[in-house]
Amino acid sequence: MKELSLNILDIAGNSVKAGATKVGITITETDETLSLVFRDNGCGMTKEQVENVTDPFFTTRTTRNVGLGIPFLKLAAEQTGGSFSIESATKEENPGNHGTTTTAFFYKNNIDFTPLGDVISTVTTLIMGSPGIDWVFTHTYGEKETRIDTSEIRAVLGDDVPLDSYEVIEWIKSSLEEEYDSFYK
Amino acid sequence: MTVKSLAEKLNLETVCCPCPEKEVSGVYIGDLLSWVMGRAKAGDAWLTIMSNVNIVAVAALADTAAVILTEGVTVDENITATALAKGVNIFTSRNPAYETAVDISKLI
Repeated sequence: MKELSLNILDIAGNSVKAGATKVGITITETDETLSLVFRDNGCGMTKEQVENVTDPFFTTRTTRNVGLGIPFLKLAAEQTGGSFSIESATKEENPGNHGTTTTAFFYKNNIDFTPLGDVISTVTTLIMGSPGIDWVFTHTYGEKETRIDTSEIRAVLGDDVPLDSYEVIEWIKSSLEEEYDSFYK
Repeated sequence: MTVKSLAEKLNLETVCCPCPEKEVSGVYIGDLLSWVMGRAKAGDAWLTIMSNVNIVAVAALADTAAVILTEGVTVDENITATALAKGVNIFTSRNPAYETAVDISKLI
């Protein structure tokens, strides 16, 4: 994809489909590397599913028999000389701690590194699409950190203000914009 | 023109050709797979230098007539098996994409 943020949108969608109530998206950057970790408490995948998840013809989708979200993320990471891994536990395997963790590791200085792109839109789109999920978005770059935790926002706002209301989304957007203003400086 | 006769006329090397009678009606050139997926048209000969298994999925989704790997790019055997199973025609050409596209345009 043209931007990693589009990959993020796609992969986080898998967590939503897996029935997760909490999804962590963590971007950790140095000057040379970027790691992208998705951690959810969804239904998890069986060993067979994990083994086949990077095969584009293996998908949980029923409308067509091709799934490219994970294969594209893996390709994006590997074409920078980086790596990709996925770990998962189903409810049956681990009732207390089930879910999936997907990790993509990139070398940023490789010419084939895909730029991160518009992360703010990705985060607000995810929150708008599934306001009931606890989204924890963390992006660190050296000492700098930006973080959004929708369960914290929900605790402050109370139950009467839905997270997908225009004002809340605008507030999230502008607070992220403000934090990113000084992020790479 | 069918894929089979196009391949013969252009002297393309056949990787696999499970659907030789597919009609080639155009050309699409691109290497960013997610981009190609939404833009290549059914019946296009898709010219690319990407050679991982994801090209088979993109070609199947876009229903392209054939994938032509340009500049002598080769594929792994496991890709050939998947392409055969999914009915995706794959060829290789020594020429770059531009020359290959120009040659195809003279034939279709």
